[in-house]
Amino acid sequence: MRNPAIVLVLAVCFAPLCVLRAQAPEAESRSVWDGVYTEDQAKRGEPVYVKECAACHRALLTGGESAPPLTGGAFLANWNGLTLGDLFDRIRKTMPQSNPGHLTRQQDADILAFMLSVNKFPAGKTELYRQSEMLKEIRFESAKPSPKK
Amino acid sequence: MNKKISRHDYVLAFLFLAVFLFLPVAASAQFHPKNTEWPSYGADLAGTRYRPLDQINASNFSDLEIAWRIKTDNFGDRPEYKLEGTPLMVNGTLYATAGSRRAVIALDPATGELLWIHGEHEGKRGGAAPRQLSGRGLAYWSDGKEERIFYVTPGFRLICLDAKTGIRVRSFGEDGIVDLKLDDDQTVSAWNAKGEWAPDLETGEIGVQSAPVVAKDTVIIGAAFREGMTPRSMRNNKGYVRGFDVRTGKRLWIFHTIPKKGEFGYDTWEKGSAEYTGNTGMWTQSTVDEELGLVYLPVESPTSDFYGGHRPGNNLFGETLVCVDLKTGERKWHFQLVHHALWDMDISSAPILADIMVDGKKIKAVAQPTKQGFLYVLDRVTGKPVWPIPEKQVEVGSAPGEWYSPTQPMPSKPLAYSRNGVSVDDLIDFTPDLRERAKEIASHYHLGPVYTPPTVSKLEGPLGTLTLGTASGGTNWPGGSYDPETHIAYLFACNACVEPIGLVPAPKEVSDMNYVAGTAGQSVEVLHGPGENAGADSPKPKKKPSGGGFQRMDVEGLPLIKPPYGTITAINLDTGEFVWQIAHGETPDVVRNSPILKGMNIPRTGQITYNIGTLITKTLVIAGEGNVTTTADHPRGAMLRAYDKMTGKEVGAIYMPAPQTGSPMTYMVNGKQYIVVAVSGGPYSGEYIAYTLPSAGE
Repeated sequence: MRNPAIVLVLAVCFAPLCVLRAQAPEAESRSVWDGVYTEDQAKRGEPVYVKECAACHRALLTGGESAPPLTGGAFLANWNGLTLGDLFDRIRKTMPQSNPGHLTRQQDADILAFMLSVNKFPAGKTELYRQSEMLKEIRFESAKPSPKK
Repeated sequence: MNKKISRHDYVLAFLFLAVFLFLPVAASAQFHPKNTEWPSYGADLAGTRYRPLDQINASNFSDLEIAWRIKTDNFGDRPEYKLEGTPLMVNGTLYATAGSRRAVIALDPATGELLWIHGEHEGKRGGAAPRQLSGRGLAYWSDGKEERIFYVTPGFRLICLDAKTGIRVRSFGEDGIVDLKLDDDQTVSAWNAKGEWAPDLETGEIGVQSAPVVAKDTVIIGAAFREGMTPRSMRNNKGYVRGFDVRTGKRLWIFHTIPKKGEFGYDTWEKGSAEYTGNTGMWTQSTVDEELGLVYLPVESPTSDFYGGHRPGNNLFGETLVCVDLKTGERKWHFQLVHHALWDMDISSAPILADIMVDGKKIKAVAQPTKQGFLYVLDRVTGKPVWPIPEKQVEVGSAPGEWYSPTQPMPSKPLAYSRNGVSVDDLIDFTPDLRERAKEIASHYHLGPVYTPPTVSKLEGPLGTLTLGTASGGTNWPGGSYDPETHIAYLFACNACVEPIGLVPAPKEVSDMNYVAGTAGQSVEVLHGPGENAGADSPKPKKKPSGGGFQRMDVEGLPLIKPPYGTITAINLDTGEFVWQIAHGETPDVVRNSPILKGMNIPRTGQITYNIGTLITKTLVIAGEGNVTTTADHPRGAMLRAYDKMTGKEVGAIYMPAPQTGSPMTYMVNGKQYIVVAVSGGPYSGEYIAYTLPSAGE
């Protein structure tokens, strides 16, 4: 890229993106405590959970002999410090055990929203993303962060 | 004439000597593993998980480093996150089951180099299996010359492999395979689309995830099913136990865990319920006394786990320890631990064989760890209790149609080593407020000691019976360990795996049972068969009630039950007394980081988990943690801990990237001791990790 004019044009063209990128850290700093799903989505997820997951993980998400709990201290500790993308990927790749991958991304996201609601993470105004790459921007933090000053 | 002994003569003499020397070995067809090897799932056929090795000890445990590791992701068509295997190490090779295919792998035990892999592609039959993934392990057999590996596929086929190559032994069964759904004294069946119970080898529910046991020349195989809380029917396949010839695969014997008409125990199934009741399998490990020629079978619950109204009677051999003849399968004695099972206690782990000395008398004993936290110690020749196990009155419940045993056997010694009932005193008590809030939650339930029966769930209460020491309490499938030198048994137990058990009427479209497990106001779901109702044209789920009797089993995220959450108990089997009991596992994050508990000095609580196996060496008890924690000392992960086996004092710990999900084992090779443990769970897919000490100078 030897022509300074082209460099200048490109710089001008991409300047807005730089601004956007500069704003990105706020979006990237979201965690499960920031209202990352909606109540409606969780309600939509419940019957899917009941049909597809409850047989092993139980209706109250307490787990059984063949499947771990999806609520409570051990579950929270297991995912603490990771992202919703990691949890979503785990569901996408391996669940339900008898027929992995047969649910749609939307169904998996709805199930995840239901799990978040049972674990008492707050609902918000926007639905969960349906792509793990995007969900990786949302941190799974087991403990509620201190209020921002 | 002097005749010189020629070279030829030397060779002949040598050959003669060799044949003479090796003849007894061949004739006895016995293989004698070294105590530096780990030749069977439980280290030996007595289920001790003990090896007298001491290179790794209190002084250096924390110096352990990873010798090799192997991810199991590629041993199947998807990763698995529940790797429960314990490898074998025998004759210089390490063998393990691995991956979602339940493949068998052979590794160099010093380097982890993959020597061979074997997997069976079972198609729909594998996908429909009630017990999937990699299972707990495999079995090894040798006559001193030939070496064989046995394992059971998810689809319930017994496979015999050449241990040197991983290729099926063609002379065994049909091309190295015995179809375990056949020749089972029953026609393995499933519910078809018309709602009929019909023969079906593909989806007929039966399988097993435990390791086969090989004793002398017999392979012993049990059976397992789906979880039995909300079965579709009171009818199911039965979990008989069978013995097969290690050479030919021929069935040598079968033991009917639910007696057939005319057999002993049939009358303990009233109203002909032995005909249709199923399950009652042996899904965990059996143990064998080869010298006595006796096999000890721990048998699980009948259909269903929490409601037995369709099987009135004591239900032999449900939740019964049965001793059978190794050659014939003929019953020698039995001891029913729980009459008319209602709590899913099963018998969940290997009976431990222990030669003990009680009041100056030598006893060949069998000690059975349990979910209910009782260690039942019996004379393994006669089946008689070593210490009295009197029948004691228990509560008789009121679930419609249920049949109750008015008494249950209660060991007088040893004392229960984990909680097996719930009283207010068991509830969280870090602060008076937490106790009060826990009492409010518990007030929605029926409480009581061990064998308090499940109640029908009502919105106005009780929602059910609050239990400990039931489905996932006490000791589960990893079982205990035993030191044959000191006569001490070591038992991990979940001390806080609380299980609310409520019964709800079964909707007709869900089950033909009168009652199944559930909570008032919540929808009832049957355990679906794999893929069942999953296709594009399957009926959409009806709107189900929800939001009824939902009660969280925690207070502000803290466990409802007070610590210790998980323990290891050492019990001297000569005296029946506890030697020590410790909380095993770092205090969970949720407790350590709780703002409510800030500033409080809480001793290590142990962890709420039920699948921890212990390894005993010359001086140590070694066990990993079952939960992930993130502490100031280590990133998110879990610790493999070592305790002085005489005192319970922790003497070392090393970091693992994920919790222990398969029980650790140990062996020596090339002068070095190794410890191998299976880890997995949450985001971490299955991995076997081998630890050893740094070589000198490193």
